[in-house]
Order: sequence, then C-alpha cells, then structure tokens
Amino acid sequence: MKANVIESVEPKLLPGDFAIWIFIFAELLVFGIFFLIYAVVRAQNVDLFNQYQDTLNREIGAINTLLLITASFFVVKAVHAIREGDSASCANWLYASLGAGTGFLILKSTEFYAKFSAGISMDTNTFYFFYISLTLFHYLHVILGMIILVAVLIKTKRGKYAKQEHTGVETGASYWHMVDLVWIILFPLVYIIR
Amino acid sequence: MNNLKNVTTLWLVMMALTISTYMLGALGFSGTTVVMLLLLTILIKSTFIIRDFMELRGVSTLWKVIMYGWLGVVTLGIAIAYIASA
Repeated sequence: MKANVIESVEPKLLPGDFAIWIFIFAELLVFGIFFLIYAVVRAQNVDLFNQYQDTLNREIGAINTLLLITASFFVVKAVHAIREGDSASCANWLYASLGAGTGFLILKSTEFYAKFSAGISMDTNTFYFFYISLTLFHYLHVILGMIILVAVLIKTKRGKYAKQEHTGVETGASYWHMVDLVWIILFPLVYIIR
Repeated sequence: MNNLKNVTTLWLVMMALTISTYMLGALGFSGTTVVMLLLLTILIKSTFIIRDFMELRGVSTLWKVIMYGWLGVVTLGIAIAYIASA
C-alpha cells in the first residue's frame, strides 16, 4: 500500500512587487471604510439616498463596470503572454486594456460633467457628497492605474520583460485588478442598492 | 491553455452578472431579497478577481485572509446596514 505522502506545497509568493501589495491593502482599507460609512449613512437617510440615486446614470455605471472587468481580463492575458515570453502579444493586450480604461475615463468624465453643469456638487446634499467623493476617489485611482500600465507598456515595448523576468507586468496587473475590484462593489452599492 | 480558457469563461460570467445587476436597478427592483442577491453577485465577482485575476490562489494563508476577510467584512457591513434600515 503506497503511503499517502502529503507533500508540503510551498505557498506561492504574491504576484509582482511586494511593495505594491502594501499599497493595495492600504487602498482597500480606505475604500472599505468608505463603503461601510456610505452604508451606515444611507441607513440613516434612506429616502434621500433612494430619491437622488434615481438621478444617477445607471447605464454609464453598468457600461463602465463592463469596461473595467474587460480591461482586467485583457491585463490577465498580458501577464499570460509575457510568461510565454511573447512581448509583442503582451504589449497588444496592454494596449487593449488601456483602450478599455480610456473608455471608462471618458464615460465617467461625461457623467461628472453632466452633474457639475447641472449645478450639483459635494455640497448639494449628503447623497451627492458620497456619490461624488467616492466615484471621484476611484476615478483618480483609475488614472493612476492607467499611468502604471503605460509605464509597463513602454518597458514591454523596449523588451525589458521576458519569460524569466516580468515582475513589473505582474505588479501593474495587481494594482489594476484592485481598481476593478473596488468598482465591482462601488457600482451596485451606489447605483443599484435601494 | 486550460487556465486561459478558465479566465475567459470567468470574464464572460462576470459580464453576465454585471448586466443582471444593471437590469435589477433599471427595472426598479429593491428590498432585502434583491439586495442580498446583489451582495451575492458582488461576492462571486470579487472572488473571481481575487482568486483568478489577481492569482491569489495558492499564496500564503495570511494574504488570503486579508483579501477575503476584507471582502467579507465590507459585504457583511453593507448587508447589516441595509437590513437595519429596511
């Protein structure tokens, strides 16, 4: 009878630079607290939040969710490509993810423009304070995520990454997935739950 | 190749879940049951992102506890706050 040898499987390291993960955990903590405060304040102002939630553009919110998830999918493909040593394919997938990210920023900007030109601001009421501050905070993170992906793309085009060494690609990917993860919670919480 | 197929499938599932989330909102559905369904959708999509896109499957337990713990506390907090006000 073959003895059941339980191999001790060494846990994988976190993908990319460890430093980015400290940053990711810190950002998730801030967003998590922000979400919980939103949920509690909403519980104290249900009618107000329901009333003004109806003024939000759910279509843009939904399309933006599809864009961010798709951008994340393209980033995963970029990581898989560089692991195969295929820099050209990795670059193409990064271009695609930047395209989807740009789509998010354009739609989000039009959404903000519509609100601000209607005279709405963070001072208008409690709902708008949370809606604008939360989505603007996330918007800035998308911009930072795009800047990181552009830097990774440039280094990829210069052949700096290879099958043996592609930590930078995984680092950029991890940050981008965090931006997507936050929006996956933010969209239903702010635009849908009522 | 299997991993790529798996990621593509997860992407399509998340797209479908997003559209269903939007439809619930657009059709004006509300109430505790709907919100619990929305939170379940959040949990599913977030797990896919954490496990398969961020590739935290197989990393040390500490990191998994941090990520899934964060997800659990946030969604549970939203659920409790909603139920308390319903």
